[in-house]
Amino acid sequence: MKILIVDDSSTMRRIIINTLSRIGYTDVVEGEHGKAGLEKLGQGGVEMIITDWNMPEMDGLEFVQAVRAQNASIPILMVTTNAAKEDIVQALQAGVNNYVVKPFTPDTLKEKIESLLG
Amino acid sequence: MDQSEIDAILAKGAAKPAAAPPAAAAHPKPGALPAHEDQGQVISELDAVTAVTERETNKVMDQLDLISSLVGTQQALITGLMQHPGAQDPGVQAAINQVMSAGKDIQDKVYEAMDLMQFQDITRQKLERIVFHLRQIHDYIVDLLGTGLKSEGERASISRTIATTGTTPDEKRAHADSVVAEFKRSLSKD
Repeated sequence: MKILIVDDSSTMRRIIINTLSRIGYTDVVEGEHGKAGLEKLGQGGVEMIITDWNMPEMDGLEFVQAVRAQNASIPILMVTTNAAKEDIVQALQAGVNNYVVKPFTPDTLKEKIESLLG
Repeated sequence: MDQSEIDAILAKGAAKPAAAPPAAAAHPKPGALPAHEDQGQVISELDAVTAVTERETNKVMDQLDLISSLVGTQQALITGLMQHPGAQDPGVQAAINQVMSAGKDIQDKVYEAMDLMQFQDITRQKLERIVFHLRQIHDYIVDLLGTGLKSEGERASISRTIATTGTTPDEKRAHADSVVAEFKRSLSKD
């Protein structure tokens, strides 16, 4: 399963990739903002997206909206520091399937991914 | 981070006059930089701090990756050793098992340390929020003075809640989960 990770923090992308490899997902592509994420998605084969919200160029919310305009079914998990209720609702309305607030534990990420893929 | 690294980033990103020291910014002297230029300098320095801390955090991650790889190599060597005829004594096997167990403990701690590196992103976003507010003040002063030097460049959007975000994992998890569950329930009712 190929997973697309979109986050402007190289450290955070690395942490997520590391966590994914520990739970058996090693096929990963990366983007540093929404525009780069769309490019990677356009190259094909991506079956799940993990995206941050606060990024330059194109933020996570715009990215999710752009993805949903072309793909209604791909699972999207948002991993962000935005923890306000209105933020979470806004992300869900945009098409996010589930939501994790940073900082997270590997168990949380694993649980969310498995529930999305289940 | 040392001053040369900050200077290199500043020289690359913003060719501005040398900064007045913080004390001078708080109590401007005759001949000091105009307030809006001080502001731009502070923003550039905060950007430099976030860039350098991200780079240094990745260096720590490199070292953790290396330790993890070395532990993996050690585990493989010990597994080979266990097959050796001279290692079949129950006492030796027990000792080897203890070494293997200690290796796994080290691996787990390395993973924990990697996960804790999320603090860098949290801190970066807190600084982004400070930069956002400084830019608002900067632009307000520019408007007031009519100099026409507004903030340039597109930056990452900022988290409204980052100021209260801790660095311990899952402090907000129950809250987020309940909002997601409530949203999904409302969809199923429609």
